[in-house]
Amino acid sequence: MTVTGQSTVASESGNALYLLFRKSQSSTIMNVNLLSEQRVIEDGYRTETSLEQWLVEDSFLEALPSDPSKISVLKRNEHLNYLAKLLLEGLNKRYAVQDASQPWLTFWILQSFSLLGVLLDPGNKQKVINTILAMQHPDGGFGGGPKQAPHILPTYAAICTLAIVGRPGKGGGWDEINRKGLYNFFLSLKQPDGSFHVMRDGEVDIRGTYCLLAVSTMLNILTPTLVEGVPDFVRSCQTYEGGFSCASYARFMEGQLLSFPRPSLGEAHGGYTSCALASWVFLKPFWEGTSTPSIDVKRTIRWLTKQQGGGANMGGFRGRTNKLVDGCYSWWVGGCFALLPALGIQIDSVPRHIDNADDAAHDNDSEWDDVEEELFNSQALQDYIIYLAQAPSGGLRDKPQKSPDAYHTLYNLAGLSIAQHRVRPVPSERDWIPQPGENLILLKEKRILPILSCKDDALDLDPSETADARDARRKRVFTEVYWWKEQESLSQVKGGSINRVNATHPLFNLTVSHIQPMLSYFYGQP
Amino acid sequence: MSEQVLYAQNSAWSDVIPIPQFDEGAKPVAPILYSEEYRDATDYFRGVVRAGEKSQRVLDLTEHLIRLNPGHYSVWQYRYDTLLAIKADLREELRRMDELATTHMKTYQVWHHRQLLIEQLHEPDSELDFIKTILDIDSKNYHTWGYRQWILAHFNREDLWIAEIRYVEQMLKKDLRNNSAWNHRFFVLWSNGRRESGEIQDEFLRTEIQFVKDNISLAPNNDAAWNYYRGVLQHTNQPFSTQLNFVKLYAEERDSDSDTDSEVVLDLDNPSPGPRAVLPCAIAMEFLAEIYEEKRTPEDIDKAISLYHKLTILDKIRKSYWEWRTAEAKRLLTE
Repeated sequence: MTVTGQSTVASESGNALYLLFRKSQSSTIMNVNLLSEQRVIEDGYRTETSLEQWLVEDSFLEALPSDPSKISVLKRNEHLNYLAKLLLEGLNKRYAVQDASQPWLTFWILQSFSLLGVLLDPGNKQKVINTILAMQHPDGGFGGGPKQAPHILPTYAAICTLAIVGRPGKGGGWDEINRKGLYNFFLSLKQPDGSFHVMRDGEVDIRGTYCLLAVSTMLNILTPTLVEGVPDFVRSCQTYEGGFSCASYARFMEGQLLSFPRPSLGEAHGGYTSCALASWVFLKPFWEGTSTPSIDVKRTIRWLTKQQGGGANMGGFRGRTNKLVDGCYSWWVGGCFALLPALGIQIDSVPRHIDNADDAAHDNDSEWDDVEEELFNSQALQDYIIYLAQAPSGGLRDKPQKSPDAYHTLYNLAGLSIAQHRVRPVPSERDWIPQPGENLILLKEKRILPILSCKDDALDLDPSETADARDARRKRVFTEVYWWKEQESLSQVKGGSINRVNATHPLFNLTVSHIQPMLSYFYGQP
Repeated sequence: MSEQVLYAQNSAWSDVIPIPQFDEGAKPVAPILYSEEYRDATDYFRGVVRAGEKSQRVLDLTEHLIRLNPGHYSVWQYRYDTLLAIKADLREELRRMDELATTHMKTYQVWHHRQLLIEQLHEPDSELDFIKTILDIDSKNYHTWGYRQWILAHFNREDLWIAEIRYVEQMLKKDLRNNSAWNHRFFVLWSNGRRESGEIQDEFLRTEIQFVKDNISLAPNNDAAWNYYRGVLQHTNQPFSTQLNFVKLYAEERDSDSDTDSEVVLDLDNPSPGPRAVLPCAIAMEFLAEIYEEKRTPEDIDKAISLYHKLTILDKIRKSYWEWRTAEAKRLLTE
């Protein structure tokens, strides 16, 4: 089985993957003079941490080709081959340790395809839908595989997968989701401090909070009851460094609930920070009047920017202070920057030194000085992913000398997407009010659509709410997440269009074209 | 375990009906190509779950599966249910889990299972000793540190907190760049949920500031120590400007004239960077800029901006961020 530029991919069963991306024939040679050889500063005092850092930098310098133009492109076909093989032929027995993460494996593969511009054919889509539905627990919620216990994390991966391949109607996956059961499952995991167990008797951590909020938002089952107390849990995970840890401690043995602040458990970490910031955006529609709780966003920004490795780290992100860079943090940390506009940070207003394009091409020092629309160095991050995170025979990886896997393939590609594109909330469209007689079809094509009543949902999940309050709240939730749009004029694809991946929605890590139909469906919008 | 007969061929299991993962005829995507041993064991696991069996042999089966796949949370969940149902000796279970936690220390479930056991047993002391053996192997293991902190907070015993300060000191002595250890220090001393910042004694704060300054002087370009420094000051509402004399030593170029020993004035409160320290430290320049920002006069804001400008060159990867900080500094004047 091979994947080629313009044709289709044949699988053994005769189904095909359609390649929507048309490969550019011109090979663009990237500016190769990108590497500053600046090494870790040890101050003449070597410790285990600085030694490890030094050795990894050695390996990065070694991994750079003597003729860097040879690997200056995204190896799209190799990655597609790698992914298609996993999806259609299966995963070798070493993947048994991810037997309880099967929806994740599917999501990582399919969302990677989406970012690479590939859609599945209807036959394979149906197979994916059937596979995912086999993992739904009879009482609601999805397990890590068929007949496994329901768990919040695989539920998120399952719902995201259904956003990519599913549809309304019988067998399409969306109507088969047991939303009432799922809601009750979520409620059963809730703790008095606003946290959630990831499953019955499972651990408490903020990944669960993120996955629960994302899924509940997508499926229109997010209620005030579910959200109550969650903001206090999320903000109590913020550590003195500014990033977020996995959990916090709310009770002492006497059983009393500590008021804020509660001690955070664990250190500031890229993955948990991503979960916390996205959770904070999901919670915004629930802020009432003046009682808006706060997190220290500026301290978070400082911490986020400090995770990007300069010099010989080639612009990759690490996940914790003084740790090693890893390609997956391209998304976990890089993706956080795309959430900042929704957290009230205006980036576009920053005055910048803009190089003349012609001058820049001749100036070795300015290769990272292009117009930067982010608070991190998005050009350098693209370099890390293209030069160091791509495995030669397909798939992406943590760093050179590590093997590629489905997880690192997606989160490198998603990080590349974040570095290339700006997907932002669009206030002018969010606040638009329908005028009598306007043509809805036309408005939909223009992506300008009034928000209709969300009352058509038969689920009466939160009896404490009046019908009007419920409708208003659903509109707020829908509005918060639906109107995100790629600002195409701000895209910056290093290496030319051959390296372009699709834009992803920073809250869900789904393309806008996948998340919007699902939201429209579950919120009763045309 | 490697010689184990398949459950399907073991007469002791003949009463259990194995259940395949997928129903007949299913054509799943991304199938995992399981080993025979794993497929067989999971078929029988699904069988006992369906039957609701909770017994010693279920403990054997779940242990077997955990060794093959320590991330199988349903197996862990069912094992815990079984332990409680048959009133198994949880102390014995904990010791059995020592080896598994060592081998699979990066798995969420091995730590969470211990937490469930300790909640039942109420015996934190030996557990802290065990955790130490893991941190000796991997001094930055995220789950292990989080679990250690949970034990301290959950049992909230004065003697444990006090011993912990000594432990964190040892860890920092081994590697003063270990951010997990600095984070733990912050947890033990400042964010353990027991003290309000108003109750902090001046003497305690002074000692702590001295500790971090001494560490910075050994290896000045160490973000972990500076972040802790800033964190303590912010937590106790101390203005950064109280640290001006120390920070300046690290935020400026080395003064080449003052290298002669006779001229050096020893200031123990503000230890100087060592001879091999690379100056100026970007992170100290940022700190100094924030000291100037606190004063908010146009002259001080100019000084801060000048430092941010230098950082766009010295700390080039964060150029965009330093430009943003410049814009933020300017805004302070108009607020």
